[in-house]
Amino acid sequence: MNSRFYYDLIALAVFCAVIFLGVPALMSYDGFELNTFARYLSLAIVSMALALSWGTAGLLNLGQAATFGMGAYAMAMHLKLKVSDGLPDFMGWNNVEKLPLVWVPFESLSFTLLAGLLVPAAVGGLIAIFMFRARIAGVFVAVITLAFLVAFQLLVIEQQGFTGGQNGLTGLAPLTLAGWTVDTYSVSFYYLVAGCLTVALALGVYISHSKFGLILRAIREDADRTRFFGYNVATYQTVIFCVSAALAGWAGMLYTLVLEFASPTYMGVSFSLAIVIWCAVGGRESVLAAAVGAIIVNLLEGRLSDVFVEGWHMLLGIVFVLVVMFMPRGIYGVIVDVVRRLNEARRGGRQDSAEDALLPATIQTNRER
Amino acid sequence: MDVVFNQLFAGLSMASILLIIALGLAIIYGTMGVINLAHGEFVMLGAYATWALQSFAGLGVLAALPLVFAAVAAVGWVIEKLMVQRLYHRPLDTILATWGIGIILQQAVRLSVGAESRFVKGPELLSGNTEIGALVMSNYRLFVIAFSIFVLVGSWMLMTRTEFGTKLRAVIQNRGISECYGIESKRIYSITFAYGAGLAGIAGALITPLFSTIPTMGTGLVVDAFLVVIVGGLGSLIGAASASVLIGEATALLSAVMNDTLGRIAVLAGIIILIRFRPRGLFPSDTRN
Repeated sequence: MNSRFYYDLIALAVFCAVIFLGVPALMSYDGFELNTFARYLSLAIVSMALALSWGTAGLLNLGQAATFGMGAYAMAMHLKLKVSDGLPDFMGWNNVEKLPLVWVPFESLSFTLLAGLLVPAAVGGLIAIFMFRARIAGVFVAVITLAFLVAFQLLVIEQQGFTGGQNGLTGLAPLTLAGWTVDTYSVSFYYLVAGCLTVALALGVYISHSKFGLILRAIREDADRTRFFGYNVATYQTVIFCVSAALAGWAGMLYTLVLEFASPTYMGVSFSLAIVIWCAVGGRESVLAAAVGAIIVNLLEGRLSDVFVEGWHMLLGIVFVLVVMFMPRGIYGVIVDVVRRLNEARRGGRQDSAEDALLPATIQTNRER
Repeated sequence: MDVVFNQLFAGLSMASILLIIALGLAIIYGTMGVINLAHGEFVMLGAYATWALQSFAGLGVLAALPLVFAAVAAVGWVIEKLMVQRLYHRPLDTILATWGIGIILQQAVRLSVGAESRFVKGPELLSGNTEIGALVMSNYRLFVIAFSIFVLVGSWMLMTRTEFGTKLRAVIQNRGISECYGIESKRIYSITFAYGAGLAGIAGALITPLFSTIPTMGTGLVVDAFLVVIVGGLGSLIGAASASVLIGEATALLSAVMNDTLGRIAVLAGIIILIRFRPRGLFPSDTRN
C-alpha cells in the first residue's frame, strides 16, 4: 500500500463522514432538502464514472449521457409497469395494442436492476470494441461517442410508442425494494443513494490504485509504448469503458428514483457536456474529486440559479473556461500542488526526488498525434 | 422521379449551408488542430447581427454580409487572443474551453436580446422560385448554393494563391521551421481563427431567412458541421465540400425513403462507421507531424 492510496482512503473516509453525518445534520433531516442533495449525489456517480474513463485512461467520452439515460429508462420502465394495469397509458395514446416484448421482463425488479447495469455496459462495450480495435484515439473517440449520443437521443424520441417520446416516462410508481416502499423524500432514501455513491467511489478508488489502473494510466500517457510492452491496449480500454458505462447506468437508475420521471433530456448533448464540466472542475484524475466537482457545481447551480435565473449559465461558462485554462487538473490539481509545496517547505527545501517522480504526470502530456 | 429530383435539390441546399459552416471549422481545425465548439455560436452571432442590421439600420441580408463577416471575425479574433492561443498544446482541452465560450455567447445573447425567436426577411430580389418541369427551386436557396461555391473557391484561392496562404500552409506543415524563416505563427493563427469565425458569421446571415433565429440555434449546427469536418478529412477544403454534399444528399434521400428522424439516425450511424474505417477522413492531407 503506497502513500497515495493511503491519502485516497482517508479522503474517501472524510467524504463519507460528510455525506452520511454532516449533510443530514446540516439539513436538519429535512426530507425535501435531502431529496435535492440525493439528486447531486446520483449525479456525482456519473461524474466519477466519467473520471474513470477520461481521467484514468484518457478516453473523452462525450456520450456518457446515453448510458446514463439507459439506466434511467430501465428503472422508469419498471416503475411505469407497476403503476399501470397491463399497458402503460402513453402506449394506448400511440396505438400500441400489446405490451412490447422488450418491456415484458421489466415487470421483475431484479431483471430491471441487472438490466440498468448490464445494458449500458454491453452497449458501451460494443462501441468500445468497435472503436478501440481500430486504435481510434483522442478527438475521434469524442466525435464517435458524440454522434452516437445524438443518434440515440433521436431514436428514443422517435420511438414514441415504446419510450414515451419527447414526454419521457412520467407518473411512476414508488419503488418497492424487498418489502420496503421507497419514499424519495425520506432520510432512509438519502442514505440509500449515499451508500450507492460510497460503493461506486470505493470501486473507483480500488480500480485507480490497482495494477489495472496503472496500466490504464500508462495507456493514457503513451498507448504505443504500452502496446510494445505486450499489453492488449484495446481490451483494457474496452473494460474501463464498460465499467464506466455500468456506473453511469446505475446513476441513471438512482436519478429516475429521485426525480420520479425519465426524460429524453437526460440524453441530451448539453447534459452530456455538463457531466464533462463537473468532472473537469473537480479534477479528472481522481474519482473522488470528480464526484465532489459534481456536487459543488450542482449545489452552486441550485443556490445561484434562484438568485440569477439567466446569469447562472453565464457564470458557469466563465468558471468553466477559467478552470480549463488555469486549472487543467481541477480542484484536485490545486490541492495536490498545495500539499506538495507544504511538504517541500517542511522539509526545508530538501528535495525528495523519489517521491516527486511518483506524482502523476500532468495532463499536459496527454497530447495528440 | 420528381420526388427524387426535388429531394436532390433539398439535399444540395442543405449541403451548401453545411459547407459554409463547416468550411470555417475545417480551416481552424486544419490549421491549429483546435476543435471549435463555439463555432455554432459564431453562426448564431452572425444571424443576430443580420437581424439587428435589418431591424435597426434597415439593411437587407445581402448588404449586411460584409459587415456581419467583419463583426464576427472581430469577436473570433478577440477570443483567439484571450483564450485559444493559450491552449494550442492541449487540443482536447480546446473542445471544453470553446464549449464554455459557446455557453457564454449564448447566454450573452439571451440576456441582451431575449430568448424569443426573431425573423429576418429574405431579399426581395431573390424571392420566388425557378421551375424546370416539376422541379421547383427557391431562388434564395439557389443563391445560397452559388454563394457557398463562391466561398469555397475564395477560401481555396486564399490558401493557395496569396502570400498569407503560403505562410499558413508553411505553419501547418512545420510551425518551428516556419518561425525560423520569420513567419509569425501566432499572428497567422489569430487571422485564421478570425477568418473561420467570419465565415461562420456569413453562414449565420445566410440562414436567417430559412431558419428561425434563436439563441440555441448553433448547438445543433455545430455537431453537424463537426461531423462534416471529420468525415472530410483534417483541414481539407475539398474534403469538407464533398463531405457536406455527401451528408446533405444522404440525409435528404434517406429522409424521403424512411422519415426525417430515421434518416438522420441512419446518416449518423453511417458517419460513425466511416470514421471507424477512415479515421483520417475521405481526403486526408499529407502533412508531416
